[in-house]
Amino acid sequence: MQTRLRVTAGAMLLALASTLAAQTGPLKVGDKAPDFTLPDQSGNKVSLNQFQGKKNLVLAFYVLAFTGG
Amino acid sequence: MGVSVDSQFANKAYAEQIGVTFPLLSDFTREITTKYGILNDKLPVAHRTTFVIDKDGVIQHIDREAEALDPNNAHAACSVLEHRKGQ
Repeated sequence: MQTRLRVTAGAMLLALASTLAAQTGPLKVGDKAPDFTLPDQSGNKVSLNQFQGKKNLVLAFYVLAFTGG
Repeated sequence: MGVSVDSQFANKAYAEQIGVTFPLLSDFTREITTKYGILNDKLPVAHRTTFVIDKDGVIQHIDREAEALDPNNAHAACSVLEHRKGQ
């Protein structure tokens, strides 16, 4: 009985650890891109969702404006 | 599209200065930069990173740091996606 409990607890811990790893690990090719809604330079809200099924997208994170990107 | 932790107003001035016509998005709260796992915690700004995302919302290519200064790889990844569309 105790052994079975230990195995169950171990399996639950493993499942939890893999869930956490999936959430916090760096994004990789093949991952779903997290959705976002952010304002552009004119104040229009832009979401990733709005391009779904319509356009491929290049999302370039740059360090700071006015610094050569 | 570009994304940074600058305010919408800084991005507006920057867009005018460099003449871009595509959206520059403001992640002022750093929420999305954090979600994408690229917040530089030494300086609270993004690590320079380019993601190519297909129409299904799946990441198809990533350039990090110095790689992201050269747009050729991202451009090639886009060409591959365009080619797939034609198949």
